[in-house]
Amino acid sequence: MNLSYRIYHVFVRNLVSYKRFVVPTFIASLVQPLFYLITFGIGMGAYVGLFGGKPYLYFLVPGVLMSAVGLTASYECLFGTFVKMIHEKLYDSLIATPVSAEDAVAGDIAWGVFRGLISGTLMMVVAMAMGVFPVSLPAVLLLFVCMIFVGVLFGSLAMIVTSLAPNFDFFNYYTELVLTPMLFFSGVFFPLDNFPAWMKTFSKFLPLTPAVSISRAVFSGVYSTSLITDFLFIVVLEVIAFTIGVKLMKRRLIK
Amino acid sequence: MNTIIIAKNLTKRFGKLIAVDGISFEIQKGECFGFLGPNGAGKTSTVRMIHCVSPVTAGTLTVNGLPCSIDNRTIKQTTGVIPQEITLDIDLTVRENLMVFSRFFDIPRREAKKRIEELLKFVELEAKRDSKIDQLSTGMKRRLLIARSLINQPKLIIADEPTTGLDPQARHLIWQRLRQLKAHGVTIILTTQYMEEAQQLCDRIVVMYQGKILKEGTPRTLIEEEIGKDVVEIRIAQDQDEKLIGSLSEFSCGHERVGDTLFFYCRDGHDIRKKLVELDLPNTVHRPATLEDVFLKLTGRSLIE
Repeated sequence: MNLSYRIYHVFVRNLVSYKRFVVPTFIASLVQPLFYLITFGIGMGAYVGLFGGKPYLYFLVPGVLMSAVGLTASYECLFGTFVKMIHEKLYDSLIATPVSAEDAVAGDIAWGVFRGLISGTLMMVVAMAMGVFPVSLPAVLLLFVCMIFVGVLFGSLAMIVTSLAPNFDFFNYYTELVLTPMLFFSGVFFPLDNFPAWMKTFSKFLPLTPAVSISRAVFSGVYSTSLITDFLFIVVLEVIAFTIGVKLMKRRLIK
Repeated sequence: MNTIIIAKNLTKRFGKLIAVDGISFEIQKGECFGFLGPNGAGKTSTVRMIHCVSPVTAGTLTVNGLPCSIDNRTIKQTTGVIPQEITLDIDLTVRENLMVFSRFFDIPRREAKKRIEELLKFVELEAKRDSKIDQLSTGMKRRLLIARSLINQPKLIIADEPTTGLDPQARHLIWQRLRQLKAHGVTIILTTQYMEEAQQLCDRIVVMYQGKILKEGTPRTLIEEEIGKDVVEIRIAQDQDEKLIGSLSEFSCGHERVGDTLFFYCRDGHDIRKKLVELDLPNTVHRPATLEDVFLKLTGRSLIE
């Protein structure tokens, strides 16, 4: 894999072009979590009552936060990358410079992570305005590290899909059949305890589940050793997804 | 002069399709070398291997002694590419396009700013520096592509059909600029379907067809060897051919019938012209032979899809 510091150049290219989209994306990044927290948190929370001694909102925030990071990184590496690759032919001019195909793809994943972090941070601001705080400052740092890893993981998974996509419609399979259902099987909105055993096992292997567990610990302050396994699982999955994603994209870009 | 590019039995396959079929050529430093050929002849596939964005299937290809491969950043660092398609960054302005590109070559910011000002002047786009790409005409976009290809001060420029779809003014401006670069010692590799472009710019050309090189030489020698000096086109019904060819046989011209026209290719058209006046045929064109005649003779006059 021919990776270099030029990943950063590709990231900066995205940052320069982002100037024009900052306002709409910030609004989208703010409104979406607000929508989730208000409808589910306050509306449904009133019926659900207390969750482990705290209002439902406390249960909801950590999960929605992680899914916001994952989804934003995914969309960036699906639609954003596809437009750059097919419609704008940006990759074609990139790979004619010392920037390698691997640099270009990794730069776009890095960009997806950055966008994910923006979403996650805005989400956290909203949550704090609603009175939900992480337990401590180190916990916040841990959360950010986890957000970065989740961003790389989902960005890489999205790259695999993008590398195979013949057109935009193809992404519907991934977003509707994989990403959206994943939210419901990863313990974002409700605990997985009441699922049958096989479903619980299945959930364990979804990439979002361990991220949600770590995030929830950061907000509740209840840590357990299983968090280490969760974290390692994310890392392993991420290395695999990144390697496959970059390789498949390279295969598509270089003919 | 020394050699910059050496290709031996260069081959490119896409699955079963053979795009480039074992061609060999050498390009000298400082010359303008043209690849001519109809669509699908393998020109673009060849130059894409030279600037290392497409892997070589078989054979050898070197630039400055370095083997061409996808990961050869050294070759890419010193090569400028004017692509066939307009691959400008439409999210950025004219200046930002150049600025972002300068990063990819690790050009320091201050140096990049200086070069960008010079380049905008060179391609006459100073007034458009803050325009967005969709506010530019096709000619301006092509000029910006030239400026972009020069940001790293390349010693080798690859121009893949750089004037396709341009009006004559824009085309001539681009030719001027390419000649200026050549005068500064830059090696230029040009692919084109426009014979006039090749005649205007190239020191040497190869005519490619179906992945192979059919002929190589300077535009002048190719015309003289393949066609001669003059071409006479006579639009006349086919049943008259035999009579006409007979009466012109003394001039030992080659002839060819294409559609409604009978072509005569002559070493020296002086005498045949006199004879034509005698015969007093309508619809006769007498003109100097061009590269286009060579091209059509070698690749056939029928449509190539």
